[in-house]
Amino acid sequence: MNASEASRNARWAIPWVTTAARLVLGGVLIVAGGLKIGNPSESVVAVRAYELLPDAVATTVGYGLPIVEVVVGLLLIIGLMTRVAAVVAALLMLAFVFGIAWAWANGLRIDCGCFGGGGQLGAGQEPTYLVDILRDFGFVLLGAWIVRFPPGRYALDRPLGLAGLDHPIGEEENGDGQGRPGEVGA
Amino acid sequence: MGKGDRAKSAREKIAQQRAADQARERRKKLVTYVTAGAVALAAVGAGWWYAASRSQAEQAAETLAPITVNPEGDVVMAKEGVTKPVVDIYVDYQCPACRELERVSGATFKNLAAEGVAKVVYHPITIFSQEPLHSNSVRAGAASRCVTDGPKWMAFNDALFEHQPSESGEGFKVDELVKLGKDVGITDPGFENCVTSQTYAKAQADYSKKIGDEHKIEGTPTVKVDGVVLDNSVAFTPQELRETITEAAK
Repeated sequence: MNASEASRNARWAIPWVTTAARLVLGGVLIVAGGLKIGNPSESVVAVRAYELLPDAVATTVGYGLPIVEVVVGLLLIIGLMTRVAAVVAALLMLAFVFGIAWAWANGLRIDCGCFGGGGQLGAGQEPTYLVDILRDFGFVLLGAWIVRFPPGRYALDRPLGLAGLDHPIGEEENGDGQGRPGEVGA
Repeated sequence: MGKGDRAKSAREKIAQQRAADQARERRKKLVTYVTAGAVALAAVGAGWWYAASRSQAEQAAETLAPITVNPEGDVVMAKEGVTKPVVDIYVDYQCPACRELERVSGATFKNLAAEGVAKVVYHPITIFSQEPLHSNSVRAGAASRCVTDGPKWMAFNDALFEHQPSESGEGFKVDELVKLGKDVGITDPGFENCVTSQTYAKAQADYSKKIGDEHKIEGTPTVKVDGVVLDNSVAFTPQELRETITEAAK
């Protein structure tokens, strides 16, 4: 396998990786938001459990977070405004990593409330901070990949012509083979 | 105009045309982008508004229904002659979700009792077994038992939730509880000593165990209407809560 062939393979694979990342990250966000969206009070309690935000702000975040997760997740799945959605998703996940680390550092004993629940541990339950942090950090990395290589295959951005809008046309860096001819293997 | 000039001008025209096409294309994309962004933001806004309006608390009426503090630990709030439906509320002063229930639905319970729709019974119990939550909760629960005057009990109850301590450390210390009581207008001379000496600590613990066993309380908050546990999504949605209890009253 010569260098050019390897590069061609990479150019073929990268957009598919982006698509996979979009589906995983988007799917997680939709599930996480969907489980919380029917019970805003629980979501407020979960946000408050971190003791990170003042009450009024925690309430606003508690009401807003589930719907933000669902909308961003949907955008990622359909590949619309892919790069912006991925930036928001990655920042959300980064905030969750920070929040959980904060709870851990401050000796709080809470459930992360990531997928619903009021942030309270059940009887006999132990916090799972490290697992939660590693998982969410993995999602940050997926988000970063999508930001770097948008929008991947099967993205609505492409037929709408939005694929190149948020990064200069001609710098077709996603290597999906749909860039300008002659660039392949360059 | 020479041959070279003509070719140049044709090239320029083509270039101009291409630039115009590109500009139009860019505008179109920008419009698409802005539209998609606006729709996404509108969806977020609508979702937020829906969540906030579902959790919108009622305005509590000026006058409460008569409140009776039973020595055993139950606190009954009902208009004279109203015996059903019975709305049982099981809460722990240290439990954050109970605080949220009080914030969101507290006024609805008060109003329904004041309107004579239902008999509301509060059961302040201690659900936590781990420390420091257990001791915090027992101290607060025992202190609430020191208040025998109905309206003042309610004011103290509300103040306890409002000043709920963090779950990470010791809270509801006796001097804080005494101050909270005085702040809500408790003037009973025996109150301070009752709180400080934790007169009812054992009674609170025994009552919690009894209620937990007999009423099969798995967690707090639990709201029951005529013995049937209400789903949290109803209990935390004032409008649905009101409809459910009003329906049970028919």
